[in-house]
Amino acid sequence: MLARTFEGAGLATVSISLVLEHSAMLKPPRALYVPFPFGLPLGNPGDAAQQRRVLDAAFGLFDGQPPVLRELTGEVDEAPAAPVQASALGARPGQDASVADEVTQMRHYQERWVARTGRSSVGLTGVPPTRFRGLVRFLEAVAGGDLTSRPRECPPDAELAYFIRWCCDDLKAFYAEARFVMRPEDSGDAVQRWLWGETAVGELIRRVGERMTASDDPLMRQVAYGVAR
Amino acid sequence: MPRLDGLPAKMQAVLRAQPVAEYDNSPDAGPVTLASARVALVTSAGLHERADQPFTREDPGFRVISSKAAAEDLVQSHTSIGFDRTAMQRDINVVFPIDRLRELEAEGVIGERAPRYLSFMGAQHDPEAVLASSAAAAAEELLRDRVDVVLLTPT
Repeated sequence: MLARTFEGAGLATVSISLVLEHSAMLKPPRALYVPFPFGLPLGNPGDAAQQRRVLDAAFGLFDGQPPVLRELTGEVDEAPAAPVQASALGARPGQDASVADEVTQMRHYQERWVARTGRSSVGLTGVPPTRFRGLVRFLEAVAGGDLTSRPRECPPDAELAYFIRWCCDDLKAFYAEARFVMRPEDSGDAVQRWLWGETAVGELIRRVGERMTASDDPLMRQVAYGVAR
Repeated sequence: MPRLDGLPAKMQAVLRAQPVAEYDNSPDAGPVTLASARVALVTSAGLHERADQPFTREDPGFRVISSKAAAEDLVQSHTSIGFDRTAMQRDINVVFPIDRLRELEAEGVIGERAPRYLSFMGAQHDPEAVLASSAAAAAEELLRDRVDVVLLTPT
């Protein structure tokens, strides 16, 4: 839909599409349907050649007359179409271990990820990982039923429900980056299964989500939907 | 990715329930010479610069991302549950090909990168609200930057 508005304003557009049926109806001026799962429309991480092939095919659509909807062929995708979610995995013995201690252990690996790649996708809360034990204490209080206390790290203009979500997302990203170092060969699906099925933080986030879902506050319930996923 | 009927039932139901407008044709901004075009990225991946305001659910606004921003400057606050975040965490280019576009510029395949890219929150239940409140404003920002070509990426 954005493509149609942009093109109508005089901007030539080309879109990458993950849902063929929707693109066929919406008729963006030029769309390349790709055979990849949600989350990676240009293909696999670290595969610059594949990403380049996708871009070459996308820009190649300027040869046609709109609407152009073409399917990218020749790329193999073996990843699951959707990520595993916490609700699909039961808690295991050992997931009640100290989350704060687990976070400290993970920091060793996550710091290696940052040193190796120069980047981290942790950062929604603005709290540095060296202070994540404090975030864990906050989330433990939420899981225990305190859905009103605002930690000092919560920006004054932010809804508490969203700050809880950002804490969970930062911890999930932090653990994923640690896992990339611990088990570089793991697929995204394997990382998710490990997080939800084997870590203490996975169990804590699951309990946070349940507590938010049970809240009387509509925003808490709405935001809870994406917490333990 | 499989077509809709190849997705898990719950995801398929959500996508089939989404209101999608149907059109007979497309607007056409006219011919483009890529080798001299100024190209901008626009994504619905819920990405933004680290210091910027995170997206909220059904957030109709957009965030401006400098094309000088590197992967380490960007975070994702997309609220959807239906995609694998680990791919983007490993390599931002899987959804926002900033490094690939830089290479295309260096090789002369495109004229140049625009100074600013834009990011929206995807998976909206009411895409019309996005259009009504910010799509035209986003187009104005791109035109102000004298953008010729926009590459749109989903997540």
